[in-house]
Amino acid sequence: MHEQLWFTAILNHLFAGPVTGLLQALHIAPKYPDAPIPNSVAMEVLVFLFLVILFAMVRSRLSVDQPGALQHIFEGAHGFVEGQSHEIIGHHSEGFTPFLMALGFFILASNLIGVIPGFEAPTAVPAVPLGCAICAFVYYQTQGFKHTGPKYLMHFFGPPMPLPVLARIPLMALMLLIEIASHLARMLSLTIRLYANMFAGDMVTLVFFSLVPIGVPIVFLGLHIGVSLLQTYIFVLLTTVYLAGAVAEEH
Amino acid sequence: MRKLSNLFLMLSLLSFAAPAFAQGGEAAASGGVNWVAIAAGFSMAFASGICALAQGKATAAAAEGLARNPAARPGIQLALILGLALIESLALYTLVIIFAKVK
Repeated sequence: MHEQLWFTAILNHLFAGPVTGLLQALHIAPKYPDAPIPNSVAMEVLVFLFLVILFAMVRSRLSVDQPGALQHIFEGAHGFVEGQSHEIIGHHSEGFTPFLMALGFFILASNLIGVIPGFEAPTAVPAVPLGCAICAFVYYQTQGFKHTGPKYLMHFFGPPMPLPVLARIPLMALMLLIEIASHLARMLSLTIRLYANMFAGDMVTLVFFSLVPIGVPIVFLGLHIGVSLLQTYIFVLLTTVYLAGAVAEEH
Repeated sequence: MRKLSNLFLMLSLLSFAAPAFAQGGEAAASGGVNWVAIAAGFSMAFASGICALAQGKATAAAAEGLARNPAARPGIQLALILGLALIESLALYTLVIIFAKVK
C-alpha cells in the first residue's frame, strides 16, 4: 500500500469501488486499483467542500444594517477584484467578477492548504493548474465570442493594416500561426507558473528540512504562504488581461 | 515527511559512491559522468542570473517612475507586479525542464 494522506485514505475506503468502475468504463486503468483517488483529487474535493461551506455561511449572514466580519471580508475581496477588472477591461466588466472571484478563491485555498501538515497542495501536481488554465482559456474565448460574435476570429489575423489585399494575405497567414501559438502558450505559461512555484516551494522546504529540521523550514513555509498569495493574484490578473484582449473594442 | 527527509539525507551520502555509477551503461552515462545533471546546474544558474538582472531593471524603472509621480502608484504597482511575475515564469520554465529531464 503506497503512501496516502489520511483524507485520501478515507475517500478511497468509501468510494474505491465506484470510482474504479467509472475509470474502467472510460478505459483508464488506475495505478493502484484499491486506491484510485490520488492525493491531489482528494485535496481538491476537500477544498471544494470547504469553499462551498464558506460561501453558504457568508450567504446566510448577509445583512444590510449589521454586516458581520465575514461579509466585510467578502465585500473587500469583491471590491478588489471588481476594481481591478474595471481598471484593466474598462466598461461593463462587472459580469466577469463571479468567475474571477471563484477562480481566485479556489487557487488560493488550494495553495494554502499545502501549509497544513497532513494535507498537500493539489496545485503541486501539474494536472490541477492545467485544469484552472483550461477553465480560464475556455472562459475568455467564449466571452470573446459572446461579445463580438463570429467576428471574434478576426482577432487572430492580427491588427487591420492599410495594405492591398495581395500583400495582406501572407501577413495574415503568418499572424494566424503566431496568434494560435501565443494563445496556446498562454495556457502553458499559466500552468507552469503556478505549478512550478508550488512544487519548488515544496522541494525547497523539504531540502532545508532534511538539513536543519528545527526552525529553518518555518521561514520557507512563510515564503510558501507569500508565494501562494502572489501567484493567485497573478493568475487572476493575467486572466483579466486576457479577457481585456478578448472583449476589447476597437475605436 | 520524516521518511522523505531520511531519503534526502541518504541520497546526499550516496553521492560519495561515485564509482558505482561507472557500470556499463545502457543509454548515456556509461563513462560515469552525468552530463545532464551538470548541464542542468549550469542552465539553472544562468536562467536565474539573467532573470535577476531583468527583474532588477524592472524594479529600478518602477521605483524611478514612482519617485517622479507618486500619484500614479496604482498603475505603476500593477505594471511592476505583472512584469515581475512574467519574468519569473521564464526562469521557472528552466526549472521544470530540469525536473522533467534530470533523473
